[in-house]
Amino acid sequence: MSLRRQLTLSLVTILILFAINVGTHFWGSYARNESMAAYRNSVTAAQLSTEIEQLLEDQKQQVLILATLRDNTEDQLENTELLQAETAIDTINARIKKLGSLSRGVTELNFEMLWDSSSTLLENWITFYRNYNDPAFKKDMDDPLPFLDVRQRLQALEARQAFIASQRANIIDRTIELTDRITVIGFFASIFLTAILGYYLVSYTNRSLKRLKKGTERIGSGDLNYRIDDIDDTGELGDLAAAFNDMSDKLRNAIYDVRKARDAADEASATKSIFLANVSHELRTPLNAIIGYSEMLQDELGDTAEVNKQQFQQDLGTIMSSGQQLLSLINDILDLSKIETGKMSLHCETFNPADIIRQSCDVLSPLLRKTGNELRTDKIKALPDFYSDAAKFRQIMTNLLSNANKFTERGIIRICAEEIAERPGWVEFTVQDTGIGMSDDQINRVFDAFVQADSSTSANYGGTGLGLAICKNYSELMGGTIVVRSQPGAGSIFTVTLPTDLRSTHAAA
Amino acid sequence: MNLSGTVLLVEDNELNRDMMIRRLSRAGFDVLTAGNGKQALDIMHSKMPCIVLMDMNLPVLDGWAASRRAKEDKDIGHIPIIALTAHATDDHRQYALDSGCDDYATKPVDFPGLLIKINKLIRL
Ligand SMILES: Nc1ncnc2c1ncn2[C@@H]1O[C@H](COP(=O)(O)OP(=O)(O)OP(=O)(O)O)[C@@H](O)[C@H]1O
Ligand SMILES: [Mg+2]
Repeated sequence: MSLRRQLTLSLVTILILFAINVGTHFWGSYARNESMAAYRNSVTAAQLSTEIEQLLEDQKQQVLILATLRDNTEDQLENTELLQAETAIDTINARIKKLGSLSRGVTELNFEMLWDSSSTLLENWITFYRNYNDPAFKKDMDDPLPFLDVRQRLQALEARQAFIASQRANIIDRTIELTDRITVIGFFASIFLTAILGYYLVSYTNRSLKRLKKGTERIGSGDLNYRIDDIDDTGELGDLAAAFNDMSDKLRNAIYDVRKARDAADEASATKSIFLANVSHELRTPLNAIIGYSEMLQDELGDTAEVNKQQFQQDLGTIMSSGQQLLSLINDILDLSKIETGKMSLHCETFNPADIIRQSCDVLSPLLRKTGNELRTDKIKALPDFYSDAAKFRQIMTNLLSNANKFTERGIIRICAEEIAERPGWVEFTVQDTGIGMSDDQINRVFDAFVQADSSTSANYGGTGLGLAICKNYSELMGGTIVVRSQPGAGSIFTVTLPTDLRSTHAAA
Repeated sequence: MNLSGTVLLVEDNELNRDMMIRRLSRAGFDVLTAGNGKQALDIMHSKMPCIVLMDMNLPVLDGWAASRRAKEDKDIGHIPIIALTAHATDDHRQYALDSGCDDYATKPVDFPGLLIKINKLIRL
């Protein structure tokens, strides 16, 4: 259950208990009021009954006295005396009525009986008083029965009233006792429940928070794989844990990205230092020839006798070709930096690629003797004219041929070129050798600038790792592609695919 | 400087080899040549040169491996070897010395300096 639901539930429970307490409290005080009223009623009724009994007794005595007087004397009842008697009887009547108003409900029957007999008695007395002066009026006032009857009924009513009152009081006492008990029980129950809920909530929250804290510490100490998955809460704490896990995921990804970027940067900088070492090596090789030959010629020229014109010319040729080698290396580096800064532009002209391939092959042939390779050009078909960058195309071919020759010994280098039948306007060039080949892993890297297949390549074959990077960039610049298929020891096949006309390709693209 | 003795030049680059042969001969040495490390070891055994000038980037058996093997070989271990290489970093220099070379010279070669180094090692 979610934390909020738990809190709401406990709050509602406590409120209900509270409401019950308030309710029972009101019930109890109502019952108390009732019992007070009943008590007061019964006290009043008892007082009234006594008073009525007394009044009746007095009146009876007076009637008896008057009756005796009337029988024995000729006295007349005076008007004032009649009025006085009537008022007294009215008072009794009023008292009895008041008693009646106090005895509604269960004592009503007793009251009606009282009322019947008292009415008759009082009627008798009134009649007696009114006819006192009439000598014809004959009435026996000595009969005690009507009076006794009234008195008995009055007492019965009183007893009944007392009984009912005590019964009511009993019930009310029990009610009060019950409500008191309920109030106490409710009070303790709510305290108990509140304490339990509070304890549960605190310990539950504590537990979850401890887990969260542990998670934070673990993640903080670098354990990014740590997951907070032991919080079985679907509410806020669960959300918090989920957000937490999410955060650690993101953190891990971010750190992974940063590490990857750092590794890439490290690798790039390592590649650059290897490249610088290689460039230095490649520059020194032709410089060694240039400086060495120059110094040597200078020494030899010191001894006039030694000058051999033919030898001299040959040595100068060596110096010049080494100078050219140096220049082309420097140009490669400049080209690559131009490519890398996006400043390399195309200089298009119309040319036939077959001519350029042939010239490149001619340049290669003196080097073939050293490696013992055979160059086959029989698969160069008649090709359409290109409108593209001739110089860049030449460099692609030269680089591929030079690589093929460099990494092959006493093998066969074959160069093919033909239009692609199913793709008009495109020509495919392949340079194939039977040399050392490359692994898949190496294939993935060799087109990157400054990269050679492995660290021993530079030691064994020289080079700076620029050739293929330049080939790839130039091929793409000219709207085409370069790919290689190779296996270690099984030779390599480089395939360059180029559009014949850059205008139409660019227009089409 | 008056120098004599047999120098074994181990170098695969033709131009550099021809140049060095001519310059060493002019300086008074008898020059033997080898195109790779394996040949160099053979010639050291058969001709016992006074000193070896060893390029490091060589086909078949490279200069570092050849130097190491020469130094481990009790017959030819005493022949001093000077590494001659276009690898100019400190790492390369250390690597050459660790491989058993007695001295180290970078290309382009400071020829008078090289002669001094040769002289020093031959005299020992
Ligand atoms: N025909 C091939 N056969 C086997 N490996 C090759 C071939 N062509 C290229 N490679 C591998 O690809 C790497 C990169 O070639 P790339 O031409 O870029 O550099 P390089 O030839 O070493 O130096 P540079 O061309 O700058 O003188 C080479 O070092 C080599 O390991
Ligand atoms: Mg290359």
